[in-house]
Amino acid sequence: MEIADVSNFLCDTTPFDQLSSAAVAGLSAHIKVYYYQTGDSVNINTERLLIVRTGIFTLYSDQQQLLTKLQSGDFYGYQQLLTGLTDNDTLQCEEDGLVYWLEADAFHQCRYQYKNIDIFFQRLFSRRLHQYREQQQSSRFTLKISDVVQQRKIAVRPEQTVQQAAKLMSDQRVSSLLVEEHDKLVGIVTDRDLRSRVLAQALPASTQVGQVMTRQPQSIERHAYLYEAVQQMSQHNIHHLPVIEQGICCGMLTATDVIRSQQDHPVYLIGEIHRQATVDGLERCSQQIANLAVTLSKQQVPAHEAGHIITTITDALTQRLIYLAQQQLGEPPCVFSWLAFGSQARMDQSLNADQDNALLLEKEPSGAVGDYFAQLADFVCQGLARCGITLCPGNIMASNAELRLSLKGWSGRFARWIATPTPDALLKASIFFDLRVIDGSRGLFNALQEDILQRTAQAPLFLYHLAQAALQRTAPLGFFKNFILEQDGKHKKGLDLKKRGISLITDLVRVYALSAGIYEVNTRRRLQQLAAQGVIDSKDSQNLNDAFDLLAQLRWEKHQHDLQQGHDVTNLLDPSEISGLARHQMKDSFAVINSAQASVKHRFCRDL
Amino acid sequence: MLSWLRRKNTALSEVVTHFAKVPYPPPGSLVAQSNFLALDLELTGLNPRKDHIVSIGWVPVRAREIVLAEAKHYLISSPVSVGQSAVYHGLHDRQLQNAHDIAEVLTQLLTQYAGYVFVAHHSALDEQFLRVACQRCFGKAPRFRFVDTMKIEWQRLLRRGKVVKHDALKLGACLERHGLPAMPDHHALEDAYSSALLLLSELKPGGENMTLADLYLLSR
Repeated sequence: MEIADVSNFLCDTTPFDQLSSAAVAGLSAHIKVYYYQTGDSVNINTERLLIVRTGIFTLYSDQQQLLTKLQSGDFYGYQQLLTGLTDNDTLQCEEDGLVYWLEADAFHQCRYQYKNIDIFFQRLFSRRLHQYREQQQSSRFTLKISDVVQQRKIAVRPEQTVQQAAKLMSDQRVSSLLVEEHDKLVGIVTDRDLRSRVLAQALPASTQVGQVMTRQPQSIERHAYLYEAVQQMSQHNIHHLPVIEQGICCGMLTATDVIRSQQDHPVYLIGEIHRQATVDGLERCSQQIANLAVTLSKQQVPAHEAGHIITTITDALTQRLIYLAQQQLGEPPCVFSWLAFGSQARMDQSLNADQDNALLLEKEPSGAVGDYFAQLADFVCQGLARCGITLCPGNIMASNAELRLSLKGWSGRFARWIATPTPDALLKASIFFDLRVIDGSRGLFNALQEDILQRTAQAPLFLYHLAQAALQRTAPLGFFKNFILEQDGKHKKGLDLKKRGISLITDLVRVYALSAGIYEVNTRRRLQQLAAQGVIDSKDSQNLNDAFDLLAQLRWEKHQHDLQQGHDVTNLLDPSEISGLARHQMKDSFAVINSAQASVKHRFCRDL
Repeated sequence: MLSWLRRKNTALSEVVTHFAKVPYPPPGSLVAQSNFLALDLELTGLNPRKDHIVSIGWVPVRAREIVLAEAKHYLISSPVSVGQSAVYHGLHDRQLQNAHDIAEVLTQLLTQYAGYVFVAHHSALDEQFLRVACQRCFGKAPRFRFVDTMKIEWQRLLRRGKVVKHDALKLGACLERHGLPAMPDHHALEDAYSSALLLLSELKPGGENMTLADLYLLSR
């Protein structure tokens, strides 16, 4: 007979939460409950699965290195149960707690019976983070009409003239109109109808809409799936579908809406950006970025691709602003490169990124040259700020005179960082070592990058300090109490996914990349290159890549959540909002980061 | 209604005789190696002569591990109405219609767990009711050996120089103090499991060399 507390706990614990209550009851009959007190060491070679119910347990390797901490809902012993091999880890009780011991036979039977549970433990064991994503609801894969249709209804009455209709279409910049009589949809009229049924037939401008409209048009329910609309459009060879909600027409879905909603939507936005003639126009375009992000997320675009797309849009905004600045200021007095640092350079920009940019000039920035680029930088930085890419609080911006230098100037600055590194300086400077050219001369930029990489690859002292800087922060070992929780200005608490995760990976990958003279700036590409060149083990590279993807995904989802709730976008994740599986995945990611940091320390911080 | 009178025969009293024959482990035995049975009764009232057992739940503890596979919970058919006590244990007369005969359940308890030290929270009450029930079913009652998690807790708090308020010794309050998961009160099996958890926690300070004699001292 089952104990409610045991069954309830299992029902809430991944992966057992996937089981029926009868199956959980069956499982709980094979459990023995043990109580541990602080300081007790747990006998882990018992051929059973350990499930932590309460308390905290710390796992040490045979060299007494702290591996991880287990808490409520965590497991141990599946490693031995899956492989039949024992290891020499020790598990110690750090805070009094209860442990469930599940017998090996029951564990194996459960695995054979429920494939998902088997997969869960196999993957927990092999730490293939990217493979055990939670099963997505199938509906989330598919957009609905309501997700893409514009929330406005432009309609005429049948007795209005075609000229009035044409004027309305021009004013509203639409290609079709709904025709309604007493709030009931009676037809539609499109610009094509005006051409072929009015002009081509030599009908007068006073012709009533009712005479030329398409009667009883095809329509679609607002909550239908988008692919149903696509099917209907191609089946009837039409480009416009009135959208009906509870018998009432609420708008028009056009073929363009459908195309826009597809993956290449950013292309439209980027195209639009490049057509803008004013900063106001760009600002309007940039307001679509949030919507685009929502669409991307609905389409399950992975975070790293979304980051790439967002960065591309920032690039486009920057390029267009530089173009507009030149329209205003005239031709530049010399060749220049507009540089981006940090996340824009790495192409993993998020929705709350700020500006990190600079100018690389062919000539020394003095006199007229200096004035010109000061104005250009001001124009672009202020423009970007209006487009939602906030000014850099650290003043790492081209509008800062110290960041408008000639090749010689930049080269000298990098040379100083590299030749006489100090930990403090490097902490601030590390961002400069991720750089990419956004606009202007690529040749000028290449010269600088080559110069930097040649220096870094042969500078053990620099790499030592860069590694030290990268090791200053560590990933949390688990979600314990409040000590890993950061507070932002508004006293919201949470785990900072960037500071305590993503940045750590970026930082240590940068150390390797600079040591190996790798030109790539994107963290994932750097990892691929590092593995390809044999600088790091391909399995380590894959693990870091997985951890990076996972954390980036969580941050992306957090940002989406913030947007939907109408909050400010932050990197602070409330651990209580994390699902069981994500928690396991995050812990794995942190473990990957910790071991990668240990390797960096071993590799770059010895013998000095 | 008077079925317990008819059952008063030698075949049945052998259950008690057999139970009494199995010796309890010597007082010097290690607690870590002893067998316990955590048990709880839900009752129609507090008077063993007038009131009845409504349900019984138990779960054994061996080598300080609670063995969930043997957790049992039985509703007991009662000769009188559950009446007002339903307020506490949530068991109503209609649920008790397909309940078990007390003799049947007691027979299982006595045959399977002879030699086990019984554990209950405020064990005096449970012991009295068990004895009366045995007397009625089998014509005689064995001596039980009980350990009381409430008394252990009381001594523990006294040793710490605390003023012990009445409410502080209730099962729920004890669980909370020990950082153990709280459970719905007044369900015989859940309460038996809770007192098993409490026992495990109370045994911890005694360490590996704690003997049954030490435990009996704590439980006075």
